[in-house]
Amino acid sequence: MDDHAVFRSWAREVLAHEGFDVVGEAEDGETAIRLAAELRPEIVLLDIQLPDQDGFAVARVIGDGAEIVLTSGRAPEDYGRRLAESGHPFVRKVDLDGASLEAALEPRG
Amino acid sequence: MTPRRWATLGVVLLALGWALGAEAISIAHGIEENHLLDFATGASFFVGGAIALDRRPGNRLGPLMVLNGLSWFCGNYLNLRNGWTQPWLLLGEAAQTGLLAHLVMAYPTGRLATRFERFVCATAYVAPIGAMGLSLLTEDSSICADCPQVPAAYLNFPHAVLAHRFFLVYDHSAWVLVTLFFVVLWLRWWRSTAAARHELAPLWAVAALLVAAYGLGPFASEEQGGFGYLMWELRALLQSAVPWVFVYGLLSTRLAQSAIGGLVLDLQSPVAPGQLRALLARTLADPEVQVAYPMGGGRWVDADGFPVEAESSDQRRRTTLVERDGRPLAALVHDVALDPDLVHATAAAAGMALDNERLQAELRHQLEEVRASRERIVLAGDAERRRVERDLHDGAQQRLLALSLALRTARRQLREGEQSLVADTLERTGQELRSAIDELRELARGIHPTVLSDAGLGPAVAMAAGRVPVPVDVAVGDERYPPPVEATAYFVVSEALANVTKHARASRAGVTITRVGEHLCVEVCDDGRGGADAGHGSGLAGLRDRVLAVGGSLGVESAPGAGTVVRADLPCPGSTP
Repeated sequence: MDDHAVFRSWAREVLAHEGFDVVGEAEDGETAIRLAAELRPEIVLLDIQLPDQDGFAVARVIGDGAEIVLTSGRAPEDYGRRLAESGHPFVRKVDLDGASLEAALEPRG
Repeated sequence: MTPRRWATLGVVLLALGWALGAEAISIAHGIEENHLLDFATGASFFVGGAIALDRRPGNRLGPLMVLNGLSWFCGNYLNLRNGWTQPWLLLGEAAQTGLLAHLVMAYPTGRLATRFERFVCATAYVAPIGAMGLSLLTEDSSICADCPQVPAAYLNFPHAVLAHRFFLVYDHSAWVLVTLFFVVLWLRWWRSTAAARHELAPLWAVAALLVAAYGLGPFASEEQGGFGYLMWELRALLQSAVPWVFVYGLLSTRLAQSAIGGLVLDLQSPVAPGQLRALLARTLADPEVQVAYPMGGGRWVDADGFPVEAESSDQRRRTTLVERDGRPLAALVHDVALDPDLVHATAAAAGMALDNERLQAELRHQLEEVRASRERIVLAGDAERRRVERDLHDGAQQRLLALSLALRTARRQLREGEQSLVADTLERTGQELRSAIDELRELARGIHPTVLSDAGLGPAVAMAAGRVPVPVDVAVGDERYPPPVEATAYFVVSEALANVTKHARASRAGVTITRVGEHLCVEVCDDGRGGADAGHGSGLAGLRDRVLAVGGSLGVESAPGAGTVVRADLPCPGSTP
């Protein structure tokens, strides 16, 4: 889920080739919440910087319905303690691929 | 002597003749009373009336005092026992109650302020005059013992019994009138401001004297000798003081003007900031007086340079404009009850001090403006940096992140031998890279257009005009100016053109930059809908701050429907090679 369409299309291509089944895409928080409820994905890749609300708020609404992985073009330090407090794993967009996604989800089993 | 003064003098001389005649008749008829005191009491109404007519020509107190004097002497003329004049003299004497009540209630403005006051005043006239008239018509001998020869022509009232009953009701309810009268006085005091109470003080002295005089009534006796006669004399003395209290009240403006002398002395030494208001408050006896100074454009500030209103919404406050050589110096917001002459005299005496304080207030106001605009410039700078960060992150950085994924895809495709797909992936990667470069260039130009520093205002403005969706007539030469002037001029043009694009709904716009002496005049106009808001918080306010920061000035003309003209005048010393 990302508001930048070009980035979304490349991310889908990268992840699809690495064995992920990409079930949906959303360009803002509202659509993400609706699709998460409809499609019930295992993993939600959620950009923190969204046009309507921030990724932390969207993550709170989706809650335990899926494993949420936060992403951003910014460094994790830019979000201070909010990232740790959210309890969700984080992957930098520049590092995004199947391996980094799995590594982020690893500690949770 | 003006004709008005001659007329006043004539009235007073006639009135004094009426008074002397009255006393002559009393003496001739051997009436035992203190003639001097009687004359002095009535005549002081004439003198007070004359002073009032002279000092306050439009005020009804003057005529009222003269009428009070005339009424005062009617009793003396009754001794003539002339059948034709007797009823009129009795009615004239009966009018005294109304005249005195009117005088007290109308003091000091000469007008009755409320409907209740007018009602009480009308009752004070009508009830005694009416009762006297009716008693005359019914030949009640107990009232009109002195008029045995009332002509039959006056006696044609058909309902004599009814009239007599009315008189009895009036006679036994005089206390109602007295009570109403004091209710009016109490209400006046209760509603009054401090300065008005200062002016009402003589009135209360009158009321106290009248109460004392009438309170002595039961003890006073006309019989010579003994306690009763002493009380009679005392009562007459108290009554005679009444007009003099009014004369004092009218002259107290003159007394107040002597306070101006004190003000002039106080102003000899330097006045501390804010102290002038206190001095004016003391001189005018109005503790709430406010001083406002004009800052141009209908704006007013107090002595500390903070914005204030020069017009009070309070009905009890009035604004007096103080001018010097036709330009406004200050506005005094004062008690409406104050004598305008006193306010003007005070303002004239404080003229120099007001001018000094105005200059100080102007300075403080400008300092406050500078502080506020400095803060706005810093805030605008912060906001601009945030915008650049956001633009970089949302624009170019997102494209570069997509590129990293694209290159990763190309690497995988090469590794997996999908050569045919690699070319397509790299083609898309190239497009994305070009977009990123374009966005970075656009962003950099927004921060500072290179064309401005390299080629000057002319080409920079032409480029900015080229990005506006409507035709723009550009009249800008190729001269170069100092970099801060060029940067500010360009900022004015690009902001104004951005407004044309976003808000104006114009079909055409124009940019003119001309050098006039040591100034650069930048003008951006359009034929759009106008109505631009140049107030604080708008984009134009940011523009004004920027222009003020280099010592220039910004004007905006934007009447609804008449297009918008933004005109900046920038100081431009010398010429740059």
